[in-house]
Amino acid sequence: MTHIAIKQFFSRYKIMALLIAIAFIWAFFSWKTEGGFVTPRNLSNLLRQMSVTGILACGMVLVIIAGEIDLSVGSLLGLLGGVAAILNVSTHLPLALNLGLVLLLGLLLGLFNGYLTAYQRIPSFIVGLGGMLAFRGILLGITGGMTIAPVSDDVVYLGQGYLPAQAGVALAIVLFLLTLALSWQRRRNRARHALPLAPLWRDGVNVLIIGALLLIFVRTLNSYDGVPVPVLLLLGLLGLFSYVTTQTVFGRRIYSVGSNMEATRLSGVNVQAVKLWVFGIMGVMCALAGLVNTARLAAGSPSAGNMGELDAIAACFIGGTSMRGGSGTIYGALIGALVMASLDNGMSMLDVGTYWQMIVKGSILMLAVWVDVNTRGGR
Amino acid sequence: MSEYLLEMKGIAKQFGGVRALDGIDIKIKPGECIGLCGENGAGKSTLMKILSGVYPHGSWEGEILWDGQPLRAHSVRDSEAAGIVIIHQELMLVPQLSVAENIFMGHELTLPGGRMNYPAMYQRAEELLRELQMPDINVALPVMQYGGGHQQLVEIAKALNKKARLLILDEPSSSLSSSEIAVLLNIIRGLKAKGVACVYISHKLEEVEAVCDTIAVIRDGKHIATTPMEKMTVEEIIAQMVGRAITTMYPPRDHAIGEVIFEARHITCYDVDHPQRKRVDDVSFVLRRGEIVGIAGLVGAGRTELVSTLFGAYPGRYSGTVWLDGKQVDTSSPRKSIRLGLCMVPEDRKQHGIVPDLAVGQNITLAVLHSFSRHGRIDAERELNTITGQIARMQLKTASPFLPITSLSGGNQQKAVLAKMLLAQPKVLILDEPTRGVDVGAKAEIYKLIAALAAQGVSIIMVSSELAEVLGVSDRVLVIGEGKLRGDFVNHDLSQETVLAAAINQAEQHRSTAP
Repeated sequence: MTHIAIKQFFSRYKIMALLIAIAFIWAFFSWKTEGGFVTPRNLSNLLRQMSVTGILACGMVLVIIAGEIDLSVGSLLGLLGGVAAILNVSTHLPLALNLGLVLLLGLLLGLFNGYLTAYQRIPSFIVGLGGMLAFRGILLGITGGMTIAPVSDDVVYLGQGYLPAQAGVALAIVLFLLTLALSWQRRRNRARHALPLAPLWRDGVNVLIIGALLLIFVRTLNSYDGVPVPVLLLLGLLGLFSYVTTQTVFGRRIYSVGSNMEATRLSGVNVQAVKLWVFGIMGVMCALAGLVNTARLAAGSPSAGNMGELDAIAACFIGGTSMRGGSGTIYGALIGALVMASLDNGMSMLDVGTYWQMIVKGSILMLAVWVDVNTRGGR
Repeated sequence: MSEYLLEMKGIAKQFGGVRALDGIDIKIKPGECIGLCGENGAGKSTLMKILSGVYPHGSWEGEILWDGQPLRAHSVRDSEAAGIVIIHQELMLVPQLSVAENIFMGHELTLPGGRMNYPAMYQRAEELLRELQMPDINVALPVMQYGGGHQQLVEIAKALNKKARLLILDEPSSSLSSSEIAVLLNIIRGLKAKGVACVYISHKLEEVEAVCDTIAVIRDGKHIATTPMEKMTVEEIIAQMVGRAITTMYPPRDHAIGEVIFEARHITCYDVDHPQRKRVDDVSFVLRRGEIVGIAGLVGAGRTELVSTLFGAYPGRYSGTVWLDGKQVDTSSPRKSIRLGLCMVPEDRKQHGIVPDLAVGQNITLAVLHSFSRHGRIDAERELNTITGQIARMQLKTASPFLPITSLSGGNQQKAVLAKMLLAQPKVLILDEPTRGVDVGAKAEIYKLIAALAAQGVSIIMVSSELAEVLGVSDRVLVIGEGKLRGDFVNHDLSQETVLAAAINQAEQHRSTAP
């Protein structure tokens, strides 16, 4: 974990700026809605709304770090969500089998995109554009343009369910202990290699702040209905993907391929395989997002996931992922997704017209990247 | 008015603490062609960049008189306005645009409203090409439809259109066939007759001999001599170009050389853009255990293409076989080569060596990352131990292995790239220009490391443009010229003259018989 210290150092200020931006956005909407925005009910809603974009952003950030882009994820999400709905409504497939099939299909379609990009050398932008049209077309074809409903309750639980209060508390405790253990291990490692150590009290304060945040998080959600299932899923992905990007060979290679593909290839890394699997993972994330989306709507819609790719890409860039590849973080992308979801949610509460919502979101994206590019250039 | 068109007096230029040029004096009369000779890195390009305004007046010492008046060019535009035009080694044409559009680029003839005045430009372009005895070029066709020779002439037409009175040609023939070169030399003679002066820079001394009136030689940034061509021979030019004493930078060569371990047979590779043209032509050689083989040759002779083919990194078409430990091996990708123990440190550190977003340590372990992992998870502790070990071994100067690699100096970046490949435990290590852009101290350390590796039984192939370095480090020297193996010398009192002559293909070839 120490080897990403430098990267964290550079991105720390960026993340702080983002957190401050979120605080501003939340304060503004709370003031305008007279506190309606920060009620447990709305925050729970906000997090559930964020989950689909967040799941996509987890995969998208890997794609962008590897120096590519995937524009087909919105359509692929819609297609896979539609397939899940059809399997559920017309064949009554058991949930586990349905999940497995949809995830496998997502993996295969993602690998197909990756194969075209990495091995057939079609630029990923074009593969994405083609997929965006083709996947949406297939979805329209298999649904006949109709909404597929009603899906069964066990599927709906994936998108609308809540953890029981006790489970939420248990989750918070487990996460707190994990934070404690990781911080302690990190200190021990740094001490062993005689690396500069932060004072013990500062690490202690950090752990306590994280603990307090977890407590507030779970208590707020529990005072409504509990921790929503898709939010739990998102937390799991955050942990898994952070682990992959910072602790594994595969993760290191994603950064390396995106930063200098030629040098990486000359170092004996199979760069094509790295890109192939990054797209494969993106496909699986589309499947998960599609399932959650279908579950949230309790139906498969032919327009599901429309423009989803733009939200996911915007989330990554707002979260500080470099446009030319080679750097970026999972938590950054998720904070970016939270920014997008907060804007959506707050403006909807204020009854701002859709057109204004689009203008504001577009402007925020450009503002965030403008700040990013200019702070980078000044260094 | 002065007898001379151009007088450069006492030109000196510093880069940091390095004196790249030290008191150069050159005079050129109208209609004179002067050949500027010197080894790679002698300072020819720097001098021409000063003359053509790339380095503005004030960033160098000395004086330039143009038509007897001081010339103070602050940019390329200023010197072009005076009539000094440089034609670079790499062609500066836009392939998709037409011949006429290229000739008039930046000086387009226009009609009211900013429209291009094509009839006038076509007419003028045809006139220019007729002057160059190339009336068969259709000026409305894209430049890319014509071969390298014609493109070179389009560059010259572009220069003439700027009313050039002094034309600087930097290696104009490096991409030309011999018949195209003959045309080019004729055109230069024609220009001379019209009073246009030329500075001709070429490693091909037979061209210099054929077209130049005067020869100016520079070596290590110093002006050696300016002599009329009729009083010189090609051998005398070579003798003036080299003759630098080999210093004690190089470690003694006392390592044992073992049996043949590596063999390249009939390596041929073809140009990426012109699949018919051979860049390397049927080169075969052997390498013994613990032997250091230097590959010398001029820039563009095909050395990099040869070694990157051996390593499996050449992007174009190629043929030939590679043998390791007596068995034919598959080295069709860097991954396969590294697994076999054949490693390469590439020439272009920035493009092919470092991964800029990763830290120093992460760069060092890039090639062998999987060896620190259990089930895909990196054992950070073992990785860090290896990194600190390599940093100590290479005397790599970095405050921390977690710093970005881009924060290091060129020499230390090079050491990191070397460290990366050494971790892969090569049997055969290819080093392509291992000391390019590296300061003198780091150079000596790299030479010491090369010798130490050879003593451990690693066989080394070192490509270098610095002859002194090749002779100082190698046990054996291969000379590549125009893609062919021109010489294979055992390095016993081998002289730079012999190697350079083989590279330029002037003197008879001294093929070694032993060992």
